[in-house]
Amino acid sequence: MTATVPTITPSVDSHTLRRWGPLAGLAAGAVVLQVVFGASENFPARWDTTFAAPIDDAGNWLRANRQTHPVFTGFFTPLRTVVDAIINAFTDILLWLPWYAVLALAAAVPARVRMYRAAATIVGALLYTGLIGFWEETMQTLALMSTAVFLAVLIGLPLGVIAAFRPGFEAALRPVLDVMQTVPAFIYFLPLFMLFSIGNVPGTVATLIYALPPVVRLTTLGIQSVPESAVQASEMYGATPRQTLFKVQLPMAIPSIITGLSQTIMMALGVVVLATLVGAKGLGSPVLQSLNQRRTGRGIAAGLAIMAVAMVLDRMWKSAAERDPLKRHDRRTLLGVLGAILVAITIGRFASVDTFPEVADWTLFDPVDDGVVWIRDNLRWVTRTFNDTLVTYAFLPARDLLSTTLAWPVVVFVTGWACWRVKGLGFAAFSAASLLFIGLIGLWDEAISTLVSVLIASALALAIAIPVGIWAGRRPKVEAFISPILDGLQTIPSLVYIIPVVIFFTVGVVPGIVATILYAMVPGVRITALGIKEVSTESLEASRTFGATPRQTLLGVRIPLAAPTIMAGVNQVIMMSLAMVIIAGLVGGGGLGFQTVVVLKDSEFGLGFEVGAALVLMAMILDRFTEAAADKMQPHRSAT
Amino acid sequence: MSNDADRPVCLEAKGVWKVFGAKTDAAIQMSNAGSTRAEVLKATGCTIGVKDVSLQVQRGETFVVMGLSGSGKSTLVRCIAQLTDSTLGNVLLDGEDLTAMDSSSLREVRRQKLSMVFQHFGLFPHRTVIDNAAYGLEVQKVPKSQRLERARDVLSEVGLQGYELHYPGQLSGGMQQRVGLARALTVDPEILFFDEPFSALDPLIRRDMQDQLLDLQQRLQRTIVFITHDFAEAIKLGDRIAIMKDGVFDQVGTASELITEPATDYVREFTEDIPKTKVLTAADVMSAPTDTAMSGTVHASDTIESLLPVLLKHGEPVGVVDASGQTVGIVNRAAVADLLAGAQ
Repeated sequence: MTATVPTITPSVDSHTLRRWGPLAGLAAGAVVLQVVFGASENFPARWDTTFAAPIDDAGNWLRANRQTHPVFTGFFTPLRTVVDAIINAFTDILLWLPWYAVLALAAAVPARVRMYRAAATIVGALLYTGLIGFWEETMQTLALMSTAVFLAVLIGLPLGVIAAFRPGFEAALRPVLDVMQTVPAFIYFLPLFMLFSIGNVPGTVATLIYALPPVVRLTTLGIQSVPESAVQASEMYGATPRQTLFKVQLPMAIPSIITGLSQTIMMALGVVVLATLVGAKGLGSPVLQSLNQRRTGRGIAAGLAIMAVAMVLDRMWKSAAERDPLKRHDRRTLLGVLGAILVAITIGRFASVDTFPEVADWTLFDPVDDGVVWIRDNLRWVTRTFNDTLVTYAFLPARDLLSTTLAWPVVVFVTGWACWRVKGLGFAAFSAASLLFIGLIGLWDEAISTLVSVLIASALALAIAIPVGIWAGRRPKVEAFISPILDGLQTIPSLVYIIPVVIFFTVGVVPGIVATILYAMVPGVRITALGIKEVSTESLEASRTFGATPRQTLLGVRIPLAAPTIMAGVNQVIMMSLAMVIIAGLVGGGGLGFQTVVVLKDSEFGLGFEVGAALVLMAMILDRFTEAAADKMQPHRSAT
Repeated sequence: MSNDADRPVCLEAKGVWKVFGAKTDAAIQMSNAGSTRAEVLKATGCTIGVKDVSLQVQRGETFVVMGLSGSGKSTLVRCIAQLTDSTLGNVLLDGEDLTAMDSSSLREVRRQKLSMVFQHFGLFPHRTVIDNAAYGLEVQKVPKSQRLERARDVLSEVGLQGYELHYPGQLSGGMQQRVGLARALTVDPEILFFDEPFSALDPLIRRDMQDQLLDLQQRLQRTIVFITHDFAEAIKLGDRIAIMKDGVFDQVGTASELITEPATDYVREFTEDIPKTKVLTAADVMSAPTDTAMSGTVHASDTIESLLPVLLKHGEPVGVVDASGQTVGIVNRAAVADLLAGAQ
């Protein structure tokens, strides 16, 4: 603060104006708009310019010409054939091999570099899937995931390399990758479905789209973070740029790329379930089946199998990246083991002991259902109260306020104002235009409904996540305890735990919100804990030296210093909530999610595009808004 | 280290400039007109890293560029090694202009003649020690068995036998820099650039590495350009030393020249803390031989420190002989006392 010459201003000085002016403007604008437009109905229906018709036409055109048009015969159909052939070949091999050979070969990847714990995990995970009767589905999912990951590396690696050396290319690529990652997978299922028709391929491509951005990003990041001296050393010894790339930069980027891939594998497995809806084979169908039958136990059985696939892929990837020759077994041992496996395969094929013995199946988990039913019957007063309170006192009032009480121009104006305050005029214009567009395509009410449930779910998720995160950040034991629970919540497809939630709350808005809370709070807890842990010990010691109580240290030092990180967690929570919108739609959540389900059932291409566009725009507004808010909290920026 | 003055020049820089920023021409003009770096930065937004530096390095010589951080010494060595393009000026290696070469001929020159050791080692963490050392030969496509054999020899020369299959991350800092040194020596370069190679190491390990470098240089007689911020290191290793400040050389000379005749106050400041008796030699204090009987002899290259006991034990004057045994001068106590007093 610099000293200023004191000026005598009787009523309004510039400081007060700066502070209260925008707020006054907001209030005045809102009141005026409300008075002018308040009497009229919702977003005027006569403005409803539906973009659906031309897109529907395009969709019909696609359907009609799929067999004949050169775009299909020359591009999409061959592409589909190739991808399909890879997946089928892979599935066939995995199913042709005796089950124990698959086990042995998968375990050999980590065992080769003496990562025995990982090998044991792989064996355990695969045994589980076999014992529960999902061997075939597991192999199908494994083949689909591996193909998607393989293609993601094949496409993503070169893109990442180019982006690392051409800043212009990277700048052009970044927004595309952003959209690919932000848009819920469901949205691009529909166009993919139209282009590739039913089967394995749309699911694979959807997974690929999901997996591509992290591969590209982390390849670029990995290459760019290679120390300059290593690159200069390579150059100094007369390496060509190509040699430097392949011998130094790419190998040094591998750990970063692997990290990206294993993250993606976990997230992409959620897509597996959705892929089943468009005809992919694999572990998704038992999950959907158990959702339809409301069988929690079976859902868990299938969900755990999906988690097992995630673990198998993750461990195999990580161990494949281990390149330390000291840890590697010598070639003779490897050949010996490989030979033994080959002999076992031959014997197995001859003796026809190649299919997994039918020991048990997923009915093993049926007792869980009794527990769920017991809880439902005995805790009805809790779930009923929670359900009613949430609907009567939060969801309905908020939705009515935004969609009926306030005139739509007020909503647009207030949103624009908030975006202006947090980021600037350009963003405000973008947001206002986006909302207007959503209104114009006739999805105003659905969007409001979705927004309200997303915000309620995010608020509740944060109300749980932030205290738990702070607690976990300060107590390593707590963190160690909740970490596997968080892993589980993130890896098990959300459709699995939506089953008991639906049983508790019956169909409606609330089960969607509850499932969203469970799913979205995970990153909130993680990032909050990280932020709290990252506060430098020096700052904490300084606080303690002055005799601050633990409470004072927490409130005065820890939380303020962790605030920007926690804000990044808020962003993640909101984005995750948005990604759950569609899942919520499957269990009666209404809003845009419900529209998506309709779209997918009836293949309404035009409506699908509109819903997708509305969701993408909402995602972009919420993402940038929270990001800008987090930015504002950075200490070096807050000084104005 | 020898001090032959008439060895052929092997590396030469002529009027090298490095200006960071957009308006380089204007910056050079201002700088030539006498503006300081700060003034140039303010007016043009350009930073002058290296200002019109010329130097000649003789074959087999260790040429040290000493300067504090921001003096431009690292930029200079990068300009000479062509890792960054200089804004103006030429760099000649055996008469060939490196600055005029296209990238493939430059690559060829690097493969044949150049090598560099980096401050933060610049090792490849994903390669074993031996693969790091063999890298230069690998990019030249030398067959595997041949390059590994050569790398193994060099590794044992720098004291790393038995560590061939380790990864750099498993080694201490001193050992990592030995890998860096081995990597540089494996290609059998004509010229070695050292960019503050020992400044990241602990003092004791630094001394070990310096001794090892002296030892290697005794046998290999390479041309070395060595960058350091440590004046003691410069004196220990350098045949000639350039003191660099604000992008220019304040003074270039041997250790004794810098100590006995510092050209600027800046140079004097560095020399003040140096124990003169360990750096200056009999040649620096001798006067013309007289007819007086001499009570003993010392070599011209002996330090004052080793000369003092002789002087005290045998009385004065003491004769000074050169490498061939020819008497070239005498030393008496008064001259030594004057020098030590004057230097303080």
